[in-house]
Amino acid sequence: MARGELIFISGGVRSGKSAYAETIVRTFGETRKVYIASGQAYDEEMKERIERHRDDRLQDNWYTIEQAHKMENAIEKLQPHDLVLWDCVTTWLANELYEGWETGNMCVDKAGCMEAKWTRLQETIDQMLTAVDLLTIVSNEVLDDFVRDERYQAWLGNIHIWLVEKADQAIEMENGLAFRRK
Amino acid sequence: MHIVFGGAFNGKRQYVKNLMQNEKASWHEGMMPPLTRKDSVTVIAGVERWVKEELEQGLTEQQLIEKVKKTLSTSQSKQIWVLTDLNRGIVPTERIEREMRDVVGRIYQFLFTEAQQITRIWYGIPQTIKGANQDENLHENRG
Repeated sequence: MARGELIFISGGVRSGKSAYAETIVRTFGETRKVYIASGQAYDEEMKERIERHRDDRLQDNWYTIEQAHKMENAIEKLQPHDLVLWDCVTTWLANELYEGWETGNMCVDKAGCMEAKWTRLQETIDQMLTAVDLLTIVSNEVLDDFVRDERYQAWLGNIHIWLVEKADQAIEMENGLAFRRK
Repeated sequence: MHIVFGGAFNGKRQYVKNLMQNEKASWHEGMMPPLTRKDSVTVIAGVERWVKEELEQGLTEQQLIEKVKKTLSTSQSKQIWVLTDLNRGIVPTERIEREMRDVVGRIYQFLFTEAQQITRIWYGIPQTIKGANQDENLHENRG
């Protein structure tokens, strides 16, 4: 079976990347639209924002999967030919890398912890692509600044390079304009 | 002179390594190369770290610019400068970082005008943004 199409979209905050990604999914086909959300609510405003977005998408016939960690758990909820949008890599990475911070036992401090999660994510993406027609992955541009958190940024850079390498299309968003790099 | 430019962890050094293949190069991280003429390609990377350390030692922006100019004019062979973009973030709270950001920005601007070729790297993907007799092809990289 042909592999589903992988599209990587990255941009700054309010660059229009999510809207652009949604348009790609909407115009790609007629099959089910699935939104995988990795954001976590830490306060009321965030919670309302997430709920508002989910309601908006529901109006537009999207099926939402909340998946802050462990992307592999989303696989069983997917159907063949789904058109999937995952938003976004940066929140997922923060959730996974700092998992256990409440108890002072973060993944990032444990040898091999993030490496294992990264391997699982790669396998998950490969597996998703065997089933779905489209997987659009959204991420953020946060590497054009002073290095504030070297481990986070190094991971993000590695993940982006891998995704761009694997993607059929790679797009950089700049204030609502899409620059196709691949 | 060729500049390879882009955000941190975007694959800039890997791009230079691929570019060099088996060619010999002297590689300088976080420092200016010694002012001796060489036949091999000179790679100068981690310029932002060099700027920070020199500023912390008390050198002025003008002195740093002079050092950069000297490095540019000394070498007979080709130079590749690996420049990390760190000027698209929030204004730093630390004074030294603000100063460093300004100095780095102005040094980059100077180097950009001097460069014959500039390649921007975005997660491993190169884009020519200046020169190398490819001006007529630039539009192909801008889609």
